[in-house]
Amino acid sequence: MTPTEDREALVDVSNPMGMEGIEYIEYRTARPQALGQVLELMGFRPIARHRSREVLLYRQGGMNVIINAHAGTGLSAGSGGGVSTGPGSGGGAEPGGGAATPLSDSPTIAALALRVRDAAAAHRRALDLGAWDVPVRVAPMELHIPAIHGVGATRLYFVDRHREFSIYDVDFVPIPGVEQRPPAVAGLRWFGVVQYIGPGRTNDWIEFYKAIFGFTELGEDRATGVLPNGRVLVSPDGSLHLQLIEPDPLADDGVERLQRVAFGADDVPAAATALKARGVQFVETARLHVDSRGALTQSWFGGLMFELVHQSGPVA
Amino acid sequence: MYIRDFGLDTITLAGTLPGKLAAIREAGFSQVMLSARDLATHAGGVDDAVRIVKASGLRVTGFQVLRDFEGLSGHLHGYKVDVAKSMIEMCTALGCRVLLACSSTSQHATGDPDAIARDLRKLAMLALPHRIKVAYEGLSWGRHINEFTTAWQAVVRADMPNLGLGIDSYHIFATKTPLAALADLDAEKIFLVQLSDFMWNEVRTPEERMATARTFRVFPGEGVHTADLAGLVVRLDRMGYAGDYSFEVFNDDYQAMPMATVAARGHRAAAWLAEDVLRRAVPLPNAGRLRPLTTREPF
Repeated sequence: MTPTEDREALVDVSNPMGMEGIEYIEYRTARPQALGQVLELMGFRPIARHRSREVLLYRQGGMNVIINAHAGTGLSAGSGGGVSTGPGSGGGAEPGGGAATPLSDSPTIAALALRVRDAAAAHRRALDLGAWDVPVRVAPMELHIPAIHGVGATRLYFVDRHREFSIYDVDFVPIPGVEQRPPAVAGLRWFGVVQYIGPGRTNDWIEFYKAIFGFTELGEDRATGVLPNGRVLVSPDGSLHLQLIEPDPLADDGVERLQRVAFGADDVPAAATALKARGVQFVETARLHVDSRGALTQSWFGGLMFELVHQSGPVA
Repeated sequence: MYIRDFGLDTITLAGTLPGKLAAIREAGFSQVMLSARDLATHAGGVDDAVRIVKASGLRVTGFQVLRDFEGLSGHLHGYKVDVAKSMIEMCTALGCRVLLACSSTSQHATGDPDAIARDLRKLAMLALPHRIKVAYEGLSWGRHINEFTTAWQAVVRADMPNLGLGIDSYHIFATKTPLAALADLDAEKIFLVQLSDFMWNEVRTPEERMATARTFRVFPGEGVHTADLAGLVVRLDRMGYAGDYSFEVFNDDYQAMPMATVAARGHRAAAWLAEDVLRRAVPLPNAGRLRPLTTREPF
């Protein structure tokens, strides 16, 4: 620890990265229109296109979703840096290695962009602690968004200028005549992400999120989520829940990835009713069905699904 | 404890990577401990080396060795982080889950326990997204950490779930560390055990330890510490160590012998340990333990 870093004792130790919410969640897919249709069922509206790449911005309420169908990797920042997802190599995560991931038909969660107080400071802190940098390769006049590698082939971006202006004003062109701030269906907001992890990997990933971001673990008696499996962490600002789930060794490939997004809702049955009216179907079995705690949509394209989680009052 | 729990380090054999893998497999081993040099010096390049290893059918016990990582600062630290990342990438490409890191010998390395713990923590964090565990080994000529006891203190201080110990019998015998100190370790945090013996009773100076370690180790059962070596393996087994054993036998004579001959000597050592030493060690009925399923992940 250099003397300079010692002076950063002023940093809030309970929120060492200065997390302030989720800027966007990015999906990658070879079939952006198919994914776009599903997002529209879920209440999102396409509002802008990337200036130079096959990338679309969807929004509802305070949630931004990016669909990336660009054949390279990543969004504006860090693209082409090279993360290869390799189930064959038995883990998926290969930060820093190899060629661009080929796009698959089934959408995958490719990145979480986190709002932080100071993106450069957050990025530097993460690297000091042993995170892997995502090499930056931006086109002229595009934003440079610092990032680290997350689970599998995913990235974690750090965005800090969300108060002063919209990062999308730089790289995106609004779709003409489209409401730029469509309201959220049934007040939906980000709740978190379900992360699938390898066997015996729970403690590793808990340490990753605790040490770098200051996540804390919710107790066993937590009443969140539609499925009781795994362990749940929450970010220091309360904006992001992560549910870590180890595989059933007999039934799962064990590949590590971000599996699905969960939305928070004040009233889950009401939100489910509103989404059903839009054409969304929910899993209804004896074990798993729409109830006041949560709900799980049926899956599209063999794996894309969304979860609703009861949450009292919007976070921050 | 079975013979399949034992493997051979490639550094024990002279020759090319394909030749080593074939000799190890033909001697009857099912796993191999690889060295970064195996990949870097392979004529067909690293990707081809990875392909050959995967095609061999041998499980990769671990990958060695990251040297002198902890205790450095400034540009030296940055340089070592780059080296570590490169090794982690090779390890990942091989589907290998254990990276061996040995204690610093550098004059530039600090002995400050907090600095050492912070660096080991960072190394483990670098390995974490790749599903790799870091086995930290105290070299008997390490500058500040030269026994498994002090290496264990550093591991405990660093406190990362994927950071544990690499145990090497050579260094224990070289420093004459009492085996009773093994009782202080958590068996689940021993990620790798490397076994070898040597022909001298004493190696007093760090220089002597290094020279012997690099030129004149022998297989278990061939040296003068046979009873201690058997005692070490029995203790590890009784305390619940369920991981792999690999023979790391740096020996100049073995570098000048046919690979098949040396690998066969290694297999004889494995048979001795698995069938004589450890069978004698578990005579109690109903005292057997089942290996947890999750400790073995197939390729």
